[in-house]
Amino acid sequence: MSDDNPPEGFLRIDFDRDRPATFNTHVGTLYCKREPKGTRDEFVMGFRVHPHMCNPAGGLHGGMMMTVSDLVGTMGGGTLVGVAKFLPTVSMTFDFVAPAQCGDWVEGRAEVVRQTRSLLFTEISLTVGETRILRASQIAKIPSGEGQTFGKARLDRSAEVAAKRPPA
Amino acid sequence: MSDSSSVPPGFRPVTTTGFAEANGPWFEKIEGNRVIRGFLPGPQHSNTHGIVHGGMLAAFLDSVMGTTVFHVLHRRCVTVRLSIDYLLPARVGVWLQGEAEVLGHDEQMVQVRGRLYGPRHDVLSGLGAFALLHRQRVPKVTRS
Repeated sequence: MSDDNPPEGFLRIDFDRDRPATFNTHVGTLYCKREPKGTRDEFVMGFRVHPHMCNPAGGLHGGMMMTVSDLVGTMGGGTLVGVAKFLPTVSMTFDFVAPAQCGDWVEGRAEVVRQTRSLLFTEISLTVGETRILRASQIAKIPSGEGQTFGKARLDRSAEVAAKRPPA
Repeated sequence: MSDSSSVPPGFRPVTTTGFAEANGPWFEKIEGNRVIRGFLPGPQHSNTHGIVHGGMLAAFLDSVMGTTVFHVLHRRCVTVRLSIDYLLPARVGVWLQGEAEVLGHDEQMVQVRGRLYGPRHDVLSGLGAFALLHRQRVPKVTRS
């Protein structure tokens, strides 16, 4: 989406490359920002709220919040602990703390609570500015052996050029 | 469910907007006190491993629970908390449906248990708390 106007540092996540669109592409566009290890923004996912992500009341649909926080837990949580595998979600609990509106920029961050040999416990927050809109906790499975990688997802570096435009 | 790759008889399309419309069509069947909702997962509902995305499953279970509250209590509601266990994967091209049960409620809150299941096995199990809106208060229609 060209009108997403993501904040500086966010790159579009290209989940499928040239393959048919999967759910992550279909609900998006989703963006990601990476900062140095150990910082608050080591892994941030972001998106601009559009009508196709909204509920009948015109606010961000809970299903969209759950989808993104699930991804933040598995992709982001996995990134934080250095596991580059696809982590299937075992269990998730979502608290819908506040609504978000069409046009809002939403960010998601994960915090790792504990990693065992086979499980990853994370807490996930979605925020709009300083306001927390969703709190979630997740248990994901860490597959034994090599496992599958996280699909074909990569960051679209071509957007870096566009992101360097002076702000409008 | 004799043929799991098509919409079973008795299900009607649900009129939806926004997120639900973009990820539909969703179908519904009402049998007395029961509301059953289902959809046929396509490639757009899939993750890169060819199974239905957990976010889609969560969103659909949420809708099953919300519509059950409306059917049973005749009140609109918004989700406050949803807790979900992912039991087994759901496959693209195989009909998936869900139903829910109101466990208890007062004037403000309602507790709901729900599940999604395919022709062979349960896929998702969930427990939710929903805030009931006032009887007169219906959510505003989407601004276009």
